[in-house]
Amino acid sequence: MAAYFDDADLAHFGDLKQHAPELWNAFERYYAAAFEPGLLSKREKVLVGFAVAQVSQCPYCIDSYTQTALEQGLTIKHLAEAMHAAASLRAGIALAHGLVAHNADKKISM
Amino acid sequence: MTTVAPPSRFARLLEGRGGELRAAVPTTLQVNVGKRCNQACHHCHVDASPARTEVMPDDVVEACLDVLARAPELGTLDITGGAPELHPRFRELVVRGRALGRKVMVRHNLTVQFEPGFAGLPRFFADHGVEVVCSLPHYTEEATDRQRGRGVFARSVEGLQALNAVGYSREDALVLNLVSNPVGAFLPPAQGDLERDTREWLLAHHGIVFHSLFTITNMPISRFAAWLRRAGNYEAYMARLEAAFNPSTLPGLMCRSLVSVGYDGRLYDCDFNQMLELGLEAGQPATIFDFDLRRLSFRPVRTGEHCFGCTAGAGSSCGGALA
Repeated sequence: MAAYFDDADLAHFGDLKQHAPELWNAFERYYAAAFEPGLLSKREKVLVGFAVAQVSQCPYCIDSYTQTALEQGLTIKHLAEAMHAAASLRAGIALAHGLVAHNADKKISM
Repeated sequence: MTTVAPPSRFARLLEGRGGELRAAVPTTLQVNVGKRCNQACHHCHVDASPARTEVMPDDVVEACLDVLARAPELGTLDITGGAPELHPRFRELVVRGRALGRKVMVRHNLTVQFEPGFAGLPRFFADHGVEVVCSLPHYTEEATDRQRGRGVFARSVEGLQALNAVGYSREDALVLNLVSNPVGAFLPPAQGDLERDTREWLLAHHGIVFHSLFTITNMPISRFAAWLRRAGNYEAYMARLEAAFNPSTLPGLMCRSLVSVGYDGRLYDCDFNQMLELGLEAGQPATIFDFDLRRLSFRPVRTGEHCFGCTAGAGSSCGGALA
């Protein structure tokens, strides 16, 4: 294995199907259905996907969803706003976990 | 010994679908009056720039007007370039085209209005009922300037406001359309979505109105192809176009309804073939001087790999998406 996270691997995502075809087919159906426009537009769903990719730190998904977002008429400026929204929520989540420390301290300290 | 080039992947794909690409009766004469432009955009398939010197000579201008006078089927004169306004006989071509009763469209880059002596263009367009098709890759300054050069967005906004001020898109008869090319190696967004976003943004932030927005795919030729190669994007972009091939775009392809005239009078199936110097099929009229509408009707169209650009996704033409 030459390297982890090789961008050429993205084209081989579907190779995983060979190991569990029925589960893979179910995933593909679910994935396609989840991204069909509904109450949310396709573009809104792509932005959700991009934000999840960012905070999940998946290079494949960030690469792929950047291209998809550009093809939805968004620009890197739009994506910058999305990544800051996602990152700030991630920061807030980290801080919210501080409540555990806050509560633990209250319980055991005099 | 004559060597025959093997059919392109595009041609083989059409053959596999049981057909070839044939034109209908041409309804538009698209005239490229030269490659000189006040801009040098990264995506330009003409390689146009201020350094270019190719200009349509007088005899070709006259021959184009003569063809229009003889062929009533050609309802539209579509003038392009370069910046066509820089041609010394541009205004005369417009006036005489209109006098022949033709719809006249001009592919206008907006910033040429700010070249010395061109401030009166919006008034001229309005006085002659020209349909103006303006380049605006994106409604955000950053994206537009990345493709077309620093400061272009601000001047484009001023240019659009000047067109609105003389009545464009405030009066039904004065049609102002926008053209958007992706700012990079990716397909255009859904035309309706981008039109809606652009309309809302330009009105709210700049007080600008327009009729329609057309999305056009960047063609993998000339300056854009050179950029694709330099940036290591060429293979991936071609694969993207080919994978997105959409047969429902075929009936509306612009090569089926127009004849493209080069600055030197040579005839082509489209502006892209013109830039590749891919002339009409053998046996067809080669120049505007032997234009024959009957022979040009239902002619086979010459294709190449670049044709995947017009058939990808929702398709691409001078009038925007096709499917």
